[in-house]
Amino acid sequence: MAVSQQSAQDTDQLLERARAGDRGALARLISVLERGGDAAACVERGLSSRGAAGYTVGITGAPGAGKSTLVNTLLGEALTDAGRVALLAVDPTSPLSRGALLGDRVRMHSHAASSQVFIRSMASRGQLGGLAVATRSARRLLEACGWPLILIETVGVGQVELDVASTTDTVVVVLNPGWGDEVQANKAGLMEVADIFVINKADKAGLQATRRDLESALASLPMERRPAIVETVATEGRGAADLWAAIASHREAITLSGELASRRQQQLRAELRGLIDARLEAELDQLFASGGADTQLEAVGGGALDMAAAGDALLRELCRRASAAIAG
Amino acid sequence: MSTAGKRILMAKTGLDGHWRGPTVVAKALRDAGFEVIMIGMARPEEVMQASIDEDVDLVGLNIGGHVDVAVRAIGMVRESRPEVPIFVGGVVPPHAKRKLEGLGVEVYPPGSQLPDIVAAAVRLTGAA
Amino acid sequence: MNSNNGNGRVWNTASGLHLKNFYAPDDVPESHRKHVAVPPGESPFHRGAYPTGYRTKPWRIFQLSGFGKPEDENERIRFLLEQGETGFIMEHDRNTGDHCYNVDHPDVVARREDVGLTGAVMQSVRDIDICMKDLPLATSYGHAGGAVVQHAPFALAGYWTVAKQRGVDLARLPGTGQSDFFLTYLGCVTKQQIPTRDGLRFNADIMEFCDKHLPRWVPVSIAGYNGADTGLNAYQELGALFANAVEYLEEIKRRNTMPLENAARACGGVNFRASMDLFEEASKMRAARLMWQQLLERRYAITNPKVANLRIHCVTAGSRMTYQQPLNNIVRGTVMALAAALGGVQSLGVSGYDEALSIPSEHAHQMSVRIQQILQEETNIQAVTDPLGGSYYVETLTAELVERAWEFFDEIMEQGGFLASLDSGWLHERAAENQSEDFRQQESGEQVIIGVTDHKDDVSPFDVDGFMGVDDAYDVALERLHEVRRTRYEKGASQALGALESVCRDGENIMPAMMDALAAEVTLGEIGDVYRSVFGDWATPIQT
Ligand code: B12
Ligand SMILES: Nc1nc2c(ncn2[C@@H]2O[C@H](COP(=O)(O)OP(=O)(O)OP(=O)(O)O)[C@@H](O)[C@H]2O)c(=O)[nH]1
Ligand SMILES: [Mg+2]
Repeated sequence: MAVSQQSAQDTDQLLERARAGDRGALARLISVLERGGDAAACVERGLSSRGAAGYTVGITGAPGAGKSTLVNTLLGEALTDAGRVALLAVDPTSPLSRGALLGDRVRMHSHAASSQVFIRSMASRGQLGGLAVATRSARRLLEACGWPLILIETVGVGQVELDVASTTDTVVVVLNPGWGDEVQANKAGLMEVADIFVINKADKAGLQATRRDLESALASLPMERRPAIVETVATEGRGAADLWAAIASHREAITLSGELASRRQQQLRAELRGLIDARLEAELDQLFASGGADTQLEAVGGGALDMAAAGDALLRELCRRASAAIAG
Repeated sequence: MSTAGKRILMAKTGLDGHWRGPTVVAKALRDAGFEVIMIGMARPEEVMQASIDEDVDLVGLNIGGHVDVAVRAIGMVRESRPEVPIFVGGVVPPHAKRKLEGLGVEVYPPGSQLPDIVAAAVRLTGAA
Repeated sequence: MNSNNGNGRVWNTASGLHLKNFYAPDDVPESHRKHVAVPPGESPFHRGAYPTGYRTKPWRIFQLSGFGKPEDENERIRFLLEQGETGFIMEHDRNTGDHCYNVDHPDVVARREDVGLTGAVMQSVRDIDICMKDLPLATSYGHAGGAVVQHAPFALAGYWTVAKQRGVDLARLPGTGQSDFFLTYLGCVTKQQIPTRDGLRFNADIMEFCDKHLPRWVPVSIAGYNGADTGLNAYQELGALFANAVEYLEEIKRRNTMPLENAARACGGVNFRASMDLFEEASKMRAARLMWQQLLERRYAITNPKVANLRIHCVTAGSRMTYQQPLNNIVRGTVMALAAALGGVQSLGVSGYDEALSIPSEHAHQMSVRIQQILQEETNIQAVTDPLGGSYYVETLTAELVERAWEFFDEIMEQGGFLASLDSGWLHERAAENQSEDFRQQESGEQVIIGVTDHKDDVSPFDVDGFMGVDDAYDVALERLHEVRRTRYEKGASQALGALESVCRDGENIMPAMMDALAAEVTLGEIGDVYRSVFGDWATPIQT
């Protein structure tokens, strides 16, 4: 299906306004990206000339670990450095109703009406990775609109999301005292993604034990790759400055070592794959929904065609449709 | 159309902490497929800012205090996002209800049944 | 239309206890039968706190009241006393009071029209003095306000300071505050408040201070009401209330600064809700008395009858008062008041018929008093103590509630205790699930509310529009705040504030320093600022 001239014009205009600092336009565009489809692709096209590259920090951890509260205090620190900060707060969509309660902003009143802070709540919309499909695009959009620092809060259930790592430059994993067992159980996953560990709720019992468990889990890593551990009490703002310092020093380290560049490369790869995935999937949905697969289905059902051959035929059809869509 | 992807802001304009009303309404909306953005007790300018940044399709206000605080919030939302419908609930005595309805805002006072509120959200967001 | 007249209906109490068609002697649990034989006024007290009941001491008519400027509130209180109220309650504005903000706090300024909507603004002892003008402090029973834990030390010290200035001997001053955890840690969660552990310290400080200086004052009043109207059912309300009491008693025991018996006596003036399930609610008051006696004897080996007999203030369920057809609420208020009286409570407040619209108008307030006067004077209800005693049904229900309530109490203990169940949000979840269940039942027709779910036509010729209040509370409060700052002895105020801050940090009893601060005309917001810097903010478990 061809993108209508009208909507292309609309998104271009919105993008122009968003780039000029119009938050309403920016917010609109994120919704466009969330809805996906042609209009989203259109926005993506407009983002090609990537603006001043920003820096992205991911904050992940189990539900209720205190991520939002932590972000609230971190914003204070980040603002002095970066001047402006955007936050994407991702919460899970309910699998039953496809609705969602997005409650992160409740913890972020300190910055709720600030012109230097842009907060956007996003529902994961069925994405298993914990990140909404549109999160990556939204990040690119925010960068293109000149937001120098982007925080992404996302829930890591059980095992920490690898997704976050492929979308952000520095990954902060938030744990709580008393989570020694979890640390042990998810050792591998945690070590793979985390650049910095936060033990939030350091006012609670079990701090030392969790710290010990964490340190022993990390002991196998070479010194220079060992993530920093920061203790925080987000509700009192304690440790926020330390955390911000740890983020800044991680950023500096990976910038100097060239790792940032290779991370970015990986991010692009993941992003590109994700994008194609999503579009192919949409095209495939469309193919089946529009009855485009009916002939093959019947043939397979009647024994006239084998599965593999049917698959080949449909894949060919899918490719044809996909390229037609691009050509249009 | 369906409720999927429709976004509703839920804010408390008062500094009172009565949470039962907004919570029960937010859950009902979520269960109907809406994405509900909760912002808790918010000042009028915070309500306005959230309604812009979150690009919501509908603004919901729980009024726990004086109606004029809500009227101010409504005015600010209207100025920045005139096209967004607003519905409210909570402690809204009849005189306040008349005032709000005069502003084109739908009012769901205590005793409102949840299916009616959900139906209103469906209608106001164009999800019907 | 509802289908609950059909045959398939399951009959339960409001809390979900299964009910039989009728009750017989065998239904009363064996272990409970021995209590039935004990007359009222004797341990375990479930049949009543006093043998002569309402004959010698009618329940106190005690209505929540207040709005606007302190003088508006004073006028309303005096009106109520004239109408026959036998105690009085001084409500403080919640925007300023509950949060310990002055009116110039940005969060208050942003909602300036709200100021004074639900209580008078009292930022310094001068305001409290105005509110208390000509009130019968020594002879009546006063509620100084300070229902919210972090606000209580200020409200109490203010009241006591004014009383002292008027020459009242504090050692003889009767009254109460409330300083209740259910109110703002479960029910109406404030935007900012001190953590629960610091709140516990405040309450223990108040108990100690009263033990030394105000023996006739009820220092804390645990308000199950606030838990119940947030959604806890009858046995959850009971279980949670006593779990709260344990928290206080353990703290005093740990401090070892006053006799535990005195602490138990201080905790023994509590507050319950009376809702619409007439017999369950009456039974609940009886169950409460029995449980208190059991708790003290089993856990603390306290058997002194002066301590083990629980005294109950009761408030009718505001949440059962409807917005639709508000005059129906006069009937509801009467039924709920009856439940309380049949349960033998010592004190009662009836919610106004305009409860769901606004704080009570003068007329609604008068009706709340009249309902009680009619019950007291025209029904002969005061003649016999524990009129339901010995009823197979009521005794069984009482015993069952006790059993369920102890189970819920144990669940809270497993959570780490009452405060832990607030910190984690566990108790909030219990309330919220009941709330959802209520709505489900209203939709399915299992729960009928006249005028709301059924019989919705209203032909009433009376327009009930809600109370309008006054519109100058904010402006006047701001003016008065400036005036206090301009005219007080600044050095004395800042010294007193500094001293209060050190006490907050050091952990000494906060009340003497608070008394000095009030006398030195330190303002509410300044005190709140000290709290915020010393104690920080409670980690609110719920997202609203
Ligand atoms: C239960 C209750 C409490 C509970 C808390 C409940 C809670 N956690 O929410 C407790 C006992 C703790 C409490 C305390 C207080 N309360 Co109160 N409370 C009530 C009561 C009785 C019922 C409220 C309720 O929960 N109803 C059930 C819920 C589901 O209904 P609802 O909130 O109305 O919501 C429905 C609709 O309004 C609508 N709705 C609500 N929000 C939204 C939002 C949108 C977008 C939409 C579409 C619809 C919608 O849908 C819901 C479903 O029908 C009301 C009176 C009444 N009958 O309404 C007073 C009332 C709200 N309380 C009041 C007061 C004054 C207080 C106190 C100050 C009293 C005191 N000093 O102790 C304190 C508050 C302290 C503070 N810091 O604020 C006043 C407020 C007066 C005013 N605004 O003019 C009221 C009206 C009572 C009165 N007449 O005085 N309260
Ligand atoms: N005691 C204590 N509580 C905290 C701390 N940080 C956050 N909390 C509390 O933990 C609860 C959850 O905090 P949030 O910030 O909402 O946690 P979250 O990880 O963002 O939660 P989700 O987004 O729902 O996954 C709230 O009650 C906070 O007040 C802390 O350092 N100490
Ligand atoms: Mg969060």
